[in-house]
Amino acid sequence: MKFSLLSKNLQKKLLFVNHAISTRSQLPILLNFLIEARKGKLSISATDLEIGIIAEIPAKIEEEGAVTVSAKTLTELIGAIPLDKIIFETEKGGLRLTGEKTKATFQVIPTEDFPKLYEDKGKELIILKKETIDKDFSKIVFAASSDSERPALSGILIKEEKEGFLLVATDGYRLSLKRHVLQNTRKNPSDNEKEENAISMIVPSRIIRELVWMGKDSESEEVAVYVSKEKNQIIFSQDDIVLIGRLIEAEFPNFEKIIPTDFSTKTIFERQDLQEAIKAGYVFARQTAGIIKFSVKKNKIIVSANAPSVGEDTIEVDAKTTGEENDIAFNARYLLDFLSNTTGEAMSFEMTGPLNPGVFKEVGDTSFMHLIMPIRVQQESA
Amino acid sequence: MREENSVLWKKILGEIETEVSRANFLTLFKSTGLLSLEDGVASVAAPSTMIIDLLQKRFYQIIKKTVDKYTNIDTKIIFVPKNINEKLKENVMGTPLFTQPEEKKKPFVGHLPRVRPDYTFQTLAVSSTNQLAYVSATTVAKKIGTAYNPLFIYGPVGVGKTHLMQAIANEVYANNPDKKIIYITSEEFTNEVVEAIRNNDTARMKRRFRSIDLLIVDDVQFFAGKDRAQEELFHTFNILVDEGAQIVLSSDRPPSEIKKLEKRLSSRFAGGLTVDIEAADFELRCAILLIKAKKYNLDLPIEVAKKIAEKAHDSRELEGLLLKVITITTSHNTQITPDLVEEVLSREGVEEKHFFRPDEIIKNICMFYDLKETLIKGPKRDAHIVKARQIAMYLLKQELSLSYVEIGNILGGRDHTTIMHGVGKIEKLLFNKVFLEEIMGIKSLLKNKANN
Repeated sequence: MKFSLLSKNLQKKLLFVNHAISTRSQLPILLNFLIEARKGKLSISATDLEIGIIAEIPAKIEEEGAVTVSAKTLTELIGAIPLDKIIFETEKGGLRLTGEKTKATFQVIPTEDFPKLYEDKGKELIILKKETIDKDFSKIVFAASSDSERPALSGILIKEEKEGFLLVATDGYRLSLKRHVLQNTRKNPSDNEKEENAISMIVPSRIIRELVWMGKDSESEEVAVYVSKEKNQIIFSQDDIVLIGRLIEAEFPNFEKIIPTDFSTKTIFERQDLQEAIKAGYVFARQTAGIIKFSVKKNKIIVSANAPSVGEDTIEVDAKTTGEENDIAFNARYLLDFLSNTTGEAMSFEMTGPLNPGVFKEVGDTSFMHLIMPIRVQQESA
Repeated sequence: MREENSVLWKKILGEIETEVSRANFLTLFKSTGLLSLEDGVASVAAPSTMIIDLLQKRFYQIIKKTVDKYTNIDTKIIFVPKNINEKLKENVMGTPLFTQPEEKKKPFVGHLPRVRPDYTFQTLAVSSTNQLAYVSATTVAKKIGTAYNPLFIYGPVGVGKTHLMQAIANEVYANNPDKKIIYITSEEFTNEVVEAIRNNDTARMKRRFRSIDLLIVDDVQFFAGKDRAQEELFHTFNILVDEGAQIVLSSDRPPSEIKKLEKRLSSRFAGGLTVDIEAADFELRCAILLIKAKKYNLDLPIEVAKKIAEKAHDSRELEGLLLKVITITTSHNTQITPDLVEEVLSREGVEEKHFFRPDEIIKNICMFYDLKETLIKGPKRDAHIVKARQIAMYLLKQELSLSYVEIGNILGGRDHTTIMHGVGKIEKLLFNKVFLEEIMGIKSLLKNKANN
């Protein structure tokens, strides 16, 4: 195998492909990149058996072949050497890299042990627009649990409804929900047996996070989604990157029943104002499990935090409230996660009591909502 | 995945583990499972296509070899992408967001799981036999955890133990729906313990039972001999009492007389207030009948109630007879009168129970086998004497429901294990037709005697 390329092209892709390497992998082969030079294309793959990433990199191929090398070593080295043209060539017992002023040799492991990332892609279901991924998926994915002990909560429910798709994620403490996503993007719309063929699947949040990443520094505007239920496999494919994951076969919790249908207090505020107030409150709240209190008044929200050993602060946020005045407390982490993952300017907050979940929405967008379970705090007066 | 498959697969994995490297085993085999094994095809589940690819490429032969060894045939292995662990673990319900609506729904009063809403203090008839139990139960319901803890109610069947306990649950619940109440029979409790151990999920069970305000366990005598359940109950008991939660227990006998119950448990059971309910007296039986009749929208004349109360001895029997009377009078469309009831009850053949004395039974057996009574009670162990003696044990047990110890005493101070053995032996012999006829013969002899 022999090929040459620009190390700057390689560097960017390696960093992304490296996401599929889990340092906890116990099999040496899974700590390696598979580098393949075939039919004029250079591709680099990695997997931890849960997800897989394949990236194509522009290169001039002089001799076909394949090899696996340590992902860590290659990524670190490419990051450390000057950005110029480099040549890779297999030689006896290793892979040699030659740059203008650099020479290096890597140990290799035979490619036979490297798993095949997929057999066939499956049915093409949807074309995702980059905008959807940026705007909609990123509002949802942060609410999923990173705890794989509860499979359903570690995934995102993607469900086809009459008007587009529904996305939901929850970790049991908060829940993000977005309706009417991806309207008219279904590849093989099933008009007749709509019910039966309607898509409903739970996709691991990890792969959605990678999907959001993947779009970040890519020029391609579209991502094709392939799903094979029999193989339990989902593939996101754009021009030069393929992302392979599996579906979660658990049952998604009945989220409909926990969405409050009514509220006794509703207040409207500027997202940024609240975010800043919470950041300030977090300075103190950090000491006490992140507890931030909201006191919703007629024309303001008083955001307060106190840590007995450190001090306390209160910040007022301008707001317009309808309904009764109310108090509630949240974990600041959840508030910040939510506020930093949404983009709307004006937001609304609805609540019924200090023990019922608070509901955040973007003003003017009825398709999105975020629920946070409050923290039960002792009344100060008591 | 069927039970037997999972057992088989465990064995197979156990062998494979010794043949492949630890890293390979943990990464590739750990989360596999045997989905089915039919017609020489074993379908094996593995979580991702990548894992399947590696298993296929590198370990097919090892897997096949091991599977073949267990099936004794040439088996084909196919792999299915499926995560076998995912469906099993689903305890979303433990999270705050999903537990919260459950609490909100609660305030529809009168719906506690396993508790009959009509078993309240208001529907309980009180007389001297259950007065003490009634008073202590109402006190406990008013001040849970502080009055008597635990409250232990005992008494024979059909005297209203369950009614009283469920009334406590209903009362506490009606006063404060936020209180966490569990009403459970000892059998269900045991089942939960067994289930928890089987699913390796004792922590959840502990959480469930140790975070409540009122625990009611019915029929604790059935804990006898169930060591794990006793242990679990013991710990639960201690924690709940420490936290000021109320515990109410019932049994058919006082704690000290429950056999095969650990000392530490029975002493704890008796540590609060122990009250007994005696079998309902005649007046109470009448009162119960009148209350029950009201439930069926029936205006029962007091004379009729008296007639029925004479015939029945516990509340279930009362209700049964009452129902019988109601059915017959409504189907015949007649008024309920004492005469009619008398007729109905006698026609329906309410079986008059004969109460033999133990010595009557023994006398009859001796007559049947032409033996002297002293031989049966004595130490001789000739085959025919032993047989008669064992039949005596059996009949004393069956007809009079005496305890083994009592029977042992009657039959000349024999050990209770001897009696148990004898009763068991006769029970087995009953399958023999000739022998059964012999027993029936003795029984009919007894009956004739009684009727004359």
